[in-house]
Amino acid sequence: VSDAIALLALPFIAALCLVGIHAYFGIQVLRRNVIFVDLALAQIAALGATVAFMLGHPALGAAAYAYSFGFTLLAALLLSFTRAWSGRVPQEALIGVIYVLAAAAALLLIDRAPQGAEHLKQILTGTILTVGRDDLALIAPLYLAVACVHWLLRKRLLPTAGADWRWEFAFYASFGVVVTSSVSLAGVLLVFSFLIIPAAIGVLYAERLSRQLLIAWISGAAASALGLGASYVWDLPTGAAMVCAFGAALALAGVARPFARDGQRGRTARQMLCVARWCTSLVLLASAAGLMFAPHADQPLLDAAERTLPALRDLYLNSSEQALYRDAAAYAARYQRAAGQLNEREARSRFDTKALDDYELARISSFIKSYNEMRRGEEFVMREVRSRARARVRWIGGAFALVLALLFAPGFFPIVCSSLRDKRAQTGSQTS
Amino acid sequence: MRTLALIAWLVALLLATPVAALAQAKLRLVATTPDLASLAEAVCGERVTVSSIVPPGSDAEEYQPRPRDLERLRGADAVMRVGVDYDLWLDRLLGQAQNAALARGAPGYIDASVAIALLDVRGAAVGPGHQHGSGNPHYWLDPANAEIITGNLLEALARLDPPGAHHYERRRIAFLDRLAAKRGDWQRALAPYQGQALIAYHNNWAYLARRFRLNLAGFIEIKPGVPPSPAHLASLLRTMREKDIAIIVRQPHEPARNTGFLASRSGAAVVVLAASVGALPETPDYFGLIDYNVKALAAAFSQRGKS
Repeated sequence: VSDAIALLALPFIAALCLVGIHAYFGIQVLRRNVIFVDLALAQIAALGATVAFMLGHPALGAAAYAYSFGFTLLAALLLSFTRAWSGRVPQEALIGVIYVLAAAAALLLIDRAPQGAEHLKQILTGTILTVGRDDLALIAPLYLAVACVHWLLRKRLLPTAGADWRWEFAFYASFGVVVTSSVSLAGVLLVFSFLIIPAAIGVLYAERLSRQLLIAWISGAAASALGLGASYVWDLPTGAAMVCAFGAALALAGVARPFARDGQRGRTARQMLCVARWCTSLVLLASAAGLMFAPHADQPLLDAAERTLPALRDLYLNSSEQALYRDAAAYAARYQRAAGQLNEREARSRFDTKALDDYELARISSFIKSYNEMRRGEEFVMREVRSRARARVRWIGGAFALVLALLFAPGFFPIVCSSLRDKRAQTGSQTS
Repeated sequence: MRTLALIAWLVALLLATPVAALAQAKLRLVATTPDLASLAEAVCGERVTVSSIVPPGSDAEEYQPRPRDLERLRGADAVMRVGVDYDLWLDRLLGQAQNAALARGAPGYIDASVAIALLDVRGAAVGPGHQHGSGNPHYWLDPANAEIITGNLLEALARLDPPGAHHYERRRIAFLDRLAAKRGDWQRALAPYQGQALIAYHNNWAYLARRFRLNLAGFIEIKPGVPPSPAHLASLLRTMREKDIAIIVRQPHEPARNTGFLASRSGAAVVVLAASVGALPETPDYFGLIDYNVKALAAAFSQRGKS
């Protein structure tokens, strides 16, 4: 655990800084309706750094930052002039065009200097996991300064209709500065999540800016902590895990939103239960159809159930099939072990034990290869035994899934019950 | 004016014809990577024009072919590839170029990996390790393999250009002599550090490490393109502490961020090595490549011994 805390402390602080400033900009971006502006600005900044690199300046040096900043300012100017560009084409279209043009132009430039490709990649794919103290020392004061400017000019920088282009320019320029630094730190995907998702949750639940911000910050911090924790516990790439945690937070907020309205809680709960039951029922129905009509194909639901509860398999395999299955599984494990041992031996021989010559190496390699192929063979036997057993029990299994589907379907029970009651009432009236 | 230009053109054409004819007589060999091109130049000499598809310093595994590559393959007499699923893009390029002399199995098709004893072979069931089940493709980084690669090349050249066979053989023997001398130097330079452990960004160094008996104890990026997870980094840091690893190896184009992060956490030094010819200015050809890597490693190990 101490390892985890030592590794994740700095990324978490960085995530808090990023959520802090991006949640605010996200609310602004949502109000202005320029959702993808951060991608365009980040790509423009990367183009600027690439130009600097091509002119012979060192990557990530002062000149590179100056060029990035200059290009970002140009893009900000363009964006501020085109706020009320035309009634026909939304500004979002122009933002998309800026994005693709900047990306393509950078690629064309990099084509002349292949060493720069990695540099370009680094500007756009930061990894929040490897944030250092010096990175934090750079962004924390910068974001604080930007936040102060926006606080002082809060009357001017809110997107009111017919705003002066100079204030728009100030907004996009400061946003560009923030995005340029954050994207190189956390990557495009994660920064987009920081920007839009907490802001969306805030806007979903509150009207006033201050309350929106508060909700956005809390939800963003919680999602960051969850994402980082999940990435450590389940051994996942950090950025992607955090993006998914933010997505889950938004989904949760969306589902919970109707409950926040007074007086409708009961109805909403009933509606959601109904939707959930329909979904379950449909999945079961599809699984039943799959099992009955294509028993040899993949059965995702059944596979998942068997993975969590292996005893389920013994329910439909007969005793000889069970023996065959267990046998194949044991052999597969054995081959895997054997290949692993050989592999270990060969790896040790590279630096520790007696060196193998090419002939011995080729021999060991061919054994490893054979063991792996044999393991695949056993795994094929396991799959085949299972799929044949499934084909054998498809009608019973399918019928069972069908019954389950009907049980889950909302409204089915009441209909059956009432029709039964009607019948009984009819027969009752006939006899009397 | 126009007639004058026409006359000038004709004169130029007349002058150019013999040169063009001479150029035609030369074999044209297209190698996929600068490493193979450098080895081929050592063997071929002036009888063959050698060029590389992937420019020096680019990532050959992620190379995006250009229209000009197609043109080059159409006019080539031989193509030489790394194989082992490394330059897979060549297959589609060859299919488009429609040059029968270069088709798989034709005399002009040279797979340099033939007869190489590959490392990290897993078979079709890819286990943990390199992304390809058919073996680790970075075999040219073992200088002993240069003998096999040039052997494959010599065989093909003797088939394509029988009158030049002696020329190629002489040049190859000279190359092997120089290689043997150099290999002695390299072995001596790294002999004191046998069995020492290091970490690499990606599994490109298996052959180099095996030849000089260094222990490649772990990799930062296990699956290409997937950034490392915190649990993986934590286990790497643990390994580095346990085995007292003070060297992290990366290529010039691999991200400095992750290696720098591990280095700052563990106090290890980052060594930039070139995995291919031309990746660094100090590695203009094959000998320069191995020379540079050996010297950089030896310097890093000796630095560490002092501190």
